[in-house]
Amino acid sequence: MLSRITKLVFTGVLVVTLGVITAAAFTKTVTIKVEGMKCAKCSSSVTKALKATEGVEDAQVSSEKGEAVIKYDDQKLNEAKLREVINGTGFKAVEEKTQ
Amino acid sequence: MSVIAIAALLIAFSPARVVQQEKIAPQFVLKDVNGRTVRLSDYQGKVVLINFWATWCPPCRAEMPDLVKLQREHGKEGLQIIGITYPPEQKTRVRRFARNLKVNYPIILGTRQIKARFSSDETLPLTVVISRDGKVSDIISGILLREEFDEKIKPLLMKNKEGEKRDAKSNH
Repeated sequence: MLSRITKLVFTGVLVVTLGVITAAAFTKTVTIKVEGMKCAKCSSSVTKALKATEGVEDAQVSSEKGEAVIKYDDQKLNEAKLREVINGTGFKAVEEKTQ
Repeated sequence: MSVIAIAALLIAFSPARVVQQEKIAPQFVLKDVNGRTVRLSDYQGKVVLINFWATWCPPCRAEMPDLVKLQREHGKEGLQIIGITYPPEQKTRVRRFARNLKVNYPIILGTRQIKARFSSDETLPLTVVISRDGKVSDIISGILLREEFDEKIKPLLMKNKEGEKRDAKSNH
């Protein structure tokens, strides 16, 4: 009985661990420089558009630094799509550097 | 249990909730950039989107072609967009800008007072959604996404359609 419980617990832990590892493997973080983001009250649209995009897990946009730090699932979208989303908000995504 | 009750009360009376509550939209009578008088009351019975924007605001400029499209596509269903510049801008600049974008809805030169009557949120663009009965049903901060239009504005447009259908049936 005890060994059965141990087996179940072990299997559960294994499944959860594999799930976390798999999810982490697909998650990428990219920093994209955004041109023209001079007013803080306008830049919230970039955050909003990015967060509404399927596959984006988090987006931190700074008008002071002029950049967007985006965590995303690279199975669902790529950097080109992210730049497209930023450009769609009226600003210009100029370059990116993968972390 | 008491913690849950307190939390529920806090949520119910939080400032965000107050904004979301349907209050009667503040009325205004203003001139548009072409000199025509625009009264909010003229659009009673329509779903009105008051879009606060500025010519120097990139997201505002980016969303305007979409607003023009929405006005064209949903105007017959009772959608009326009104653009109000905020902060105040030069009339000639705004008029030229609107002409270049072929804006098909009234553009008004706003004032800080007008903006303050609708919202204290300084985000641009900012869209105030007014339902057919003249109540503020939502305030959309930032660019108006298609998903938001489908979720928050389309149902308001549908409401009257269903009402009209019921009225037509009862008249026959």
